[in-house]
Amino acid sequence: MAKELAVLMLTWEFPPRIIGGISPHVYYLSKSLARNGVKVYVVTCDFPRAPQHEIIDGVEVFRIDSYKNPSPDFATWVYLMNVNMQKEAAALVNSLGGKVDVFHAHDWLVADAGIGLKHVFRKPLLSTIHSTEIGRRNGIHLDYEKMIHETEAWLTYEAWRVICCSDYMVSHVRWAFGLPVDKLVMIPNGVNVEVYNKIENDDLSRFRGKFALPEEKIVLFVGRLVYEKGVHVLVNAVPKVLEKVNAKFIIVGNGYMKERLSSLVKNIGLAHKVLFTGFVDDETLRRLQICADVSVVPSLFEPFGIVALEAMAAKSPVVVSDAGGLSEIVEHDATGVKVYANNPDSLAWGIIKVLLDETYANRIRTNAYKIVQEKYNWNRIAQQTKTIYGCVLNEYSKSTWT
Amino acid sequence: MMQVIIFSWEYPPRIVGQLADYVRELAVQLVKNNVETYVVTYHDYLKGQYDESEGVKTYRVANPVRTHIGVLTWVLTLNQEVERAAANIYYNTSKQVNLVDAHDWHFIPAAVTLKKALNIPFVFSVESLEEHRSHGANSPFTMGIKSIEWLGMYEAEKLIVKSEWMRDEVIRLHKVPLEKVKVISPKSVTWMKNVLEAYKSVAGGGISGWLKNWPF
Repeated sequence: MAKELAVLMLTWEFPPRIIGGISPHVYYLSKSLARNGVKVYVVTCDFPRAPQHEIIDGVEVFRIDSYKNPSPDFATWVYLMNVNMQKEAAALVNSLGGKVDVFHAHDWLVADAGIGLKHVFRKPLLSTIHSTEIGRRNGIHLDYEKMIHETEAWLTYEAWRVICCSDYMVSHVRWAFGLPVDKLVMIPNGVNVEVYNKIENDDLSRFRGKFALPEEKIVLFVGRLVYEKGVHVLVNAVPKVLEKVNAKFIIVGNGYMKERLSSLVKNIGLAHKVLFTGFVDDETLRRLQICADVSVVPSLFEPFGIVALEAMAAKSPVVVSDAGGLSEIVEHDATGVKVYANNPDSLAWGIIKVLLDETYANRIRTNAYKIVQEKYNWNRIAQQTKTIYGCVLNEYSKSTWT
Repeated sequence: MMQVIIFSWEYPPRIVGQLADYVRELAVQLVKNNVETYVVTYHDYLKGQYDESEGVKTYRVANPVRTHIGVLTWVLTLNQEVERAAANIYYNTSKQVNLVDAHDWHFIPAAVTLKKALNIPFVFSVESLEEHRSHGANSPFTMGIKSIEWLGMYEAEKLIVKSEWMRDEVIRLHKVPLEKVKVISPKSVTWMKNVLEAYKSVAGGGISGWLKNWPF
């Protein structure tokens, strides 16, 4: 039997530490790679009450002491945290007798550690770019942002391959960092349908009753409450939707726009129609996604759009803005509704269409569920990733490093 | 022959304070005492693979991230290039690097990773401390630098300080055990002999051939 391929994943978040989309991505990718015969080590930041070392379905997780003194700013914390991450990952690889074949770094947050490990052990580095500073900020305006942008560029420079989760991100990353096209690989993000199938037949009427009246349709938004996610577009669409349909808008997530938006909703007298839940646990989130009569993803910048996929897996009809990765996930009128980005009228039109036409809603959500199972399942994604590891190792075997 | 890599953020022609000339003199004297000596330092445009003068091989790296918001972020990204240069020396010399001598806090993270990854021990040579440079300030910024100094003192095999006062300060501020700290005055006539003794006490790897000739 061929030698088992071993990968060391570097990520700043891994369950139960969940900040954004990287955490579930690395979780499912690692578990599926392990199921496909890859030995996976995950090195990540610690989290209260999470063990320093544990094995989850064959994946060995090591949680490092992240830097805990007060930091001048987020980016400085990231670089300081990387000192510890690199130190502990180096000790781990050394203790394994160097038996790690590739390092896989997720976003600039672990760039230093990934680049350092590549050179001290002379093993190839791959990186997945989930998002970019230039995309998040809609341009580079400050030295702080430029520093992060240049760190991202450096990571893609050092990586043997750069993985992006959508065709949109491939071209965006190519443009942002001037990469040669053969360095980039598109492997979609995935979604786990089982976690939704498990609970879809539960009686959720009592659960639903905690969030909305029986006569109210549920319009669900899930995401960080920041500009790029377009939550303000949804809030602006609320009165337009309510003119036609009785609905409750449930907004899940936290972010710097929360205060501003909730006071805006109060000022226009619609506080009883818009519920800001903050961050909710996985179980509550999944139930909400199943209960939602429509799930809305109005992002202005969206590298992939995992929440749209999750909604599709939960068999909730989706209305998304025609932006970034969302444009690829959703086919208009077939698997969802696409509306103009940053346009509350267009968004309201899409929501109303789904809420008022039940036949239409049922058709798009059935189609959407089928696509999710075929294209975005983790087993397929793990196999594609394993193939890329194989390509890189083949090139590596012919390099001066071996 | 013993092989040593010296880390210093200043080295001629780039002179910021007193460290550059001291490290230069140290490197030249080490070469004269039969130590294969590499210096890894920072320079923005003097690049090329390395240069060699008076037997000292000097590798100058630039920061891959050009824009920064402070010395801390600048130093921490630059560390990866220092680490890369040192790893290249290690692999290009059949892994025969016996120790790293890191001067001040700047390249401690690289020294620590090299130790953890490749079992290369390091000496931490202390010229000055953040506590004195920042006059006791405890801002998040100075705490970041102090935490790197602490890491270096914890992970180093030995600290070399230049005065008894500094030895006492290192012990007071970072709780380093006394026997870990070696006072070696650059003004002393036994300076080089003492440095070599300190190196010898911590050197790892294949130094048996070198030891046979001790003392030279």
